Amino acid sequence: MRSGVSIPAAVNMAGVGFRKVVRALTKSKGSGFSALLSGCRAASGPAKGSLPGPFPQTPEERAAAAKKYNMRVEDYEPYPDKGEGYGDYPKLPDRSQHERDPWYKWDHPDLRRNWGEPMHWDFDMYIRNRVDTSPTVVPWSSMCKQLFGFIGFMLFMFYLGEKFPAYQPVAPKQYPFNNLHLEKGGDPEKEPEDVKNFEI
Amino acid sequence: MGAHLARRYITETDTEPDPAKKFEFDPTFGFPERKEREMTATQEQMNLAQVPVEQRDYCAHHLLTLMKCKRDNWPNFLACKHEKHDWDYCEHQDYVMRMKEYERERRLQLRKKRIEAKTEAEAA
Repeated sequence: MRSGVSIPAAVNMAGVGFRKVVRALTKSKGSGFSALLSGCRAASGPAKGSLPGPFPQTPEERAAAAKKYNMRVEDYEPYPDKGEGYGDYPKLPDRSQHERDPWYKWDHPDLRRNWGEPMHWDFDMYIRNRVDTSPTVVPWSSMCKQLFGFIGFMLFMFYLGEKFPAYQPVAPKQYPFNNLHLEKGGDPEKEPEDVKNFEI
Repeated sequence: MGAHLARRYITETDTEPDPAKKFEFDPTFGFPERKEREMTATQEQMNLAQVPVEQRDYCAHHLLTLMKCKRDNWPNFLACKHEKHDWDYCEHQDYVMRMKEYERERRLQLRKKRIEAKTEAEAA
């Protein structure tokens, strides 16, 4: 066995395939940069074969994809293949976690999800702090009617109030000095309209 | 809500006066002589007292005495009842005068309408 591992060669003990590590270290084929590259990758990511793959074409591929995602073949439905990049990821109903049973003993109670359950594409949007797709207590149409009916009515009444204002049956207030021409910022040179006020 | 509103918008829409518009009839019409309103406080006095523009009306002299009384008697805020009453009474009279002016305009309009109806009836 060759001893003396070159120092730049990183020893990745958290790597997949310990044998490959040893082989890489001992062989050290080539010189320069290729000697530094280890022949194995980190084990911290998903296992090979559990990552999403391309869109399933055959029924066997569909069955395999359903098994991969822990789903029944009948339930499994991939996104339509429009070149958007979903691959074989399943299309789950767009329901948020608010709609799930609050009393059931979930593995992750705050996420209301069990271990191994397939996750929605937008699961981070559908958590309980964010988007809520719960059905409304009152039908949407009746809510719309009530809101817009009220707003419309108020706008109509304000319009009528503009058209037919309510006022006190008094003449306008009389001010001295030609309706306070100077006090209101009028030009001192220009002669104002002569306003005469009389006693009653 | 107010007989004048019912008159203005429903029953007598053509004769009821609109305070937003200028009144049609001359203020001296029907009077043999009409005395002009006297303004007691001068512009200079009002400027020195920094009276707000809306309060520079024909009762401003009462307001000036009230302001002086208040300033002289602070912190006794109950001291100027007499001056306050004078100013309030003047403002009240002014408001009553406005009501009377409005009523005068209304009656003159009705009179005009009656005269027109009469001349039309005679012509026909």
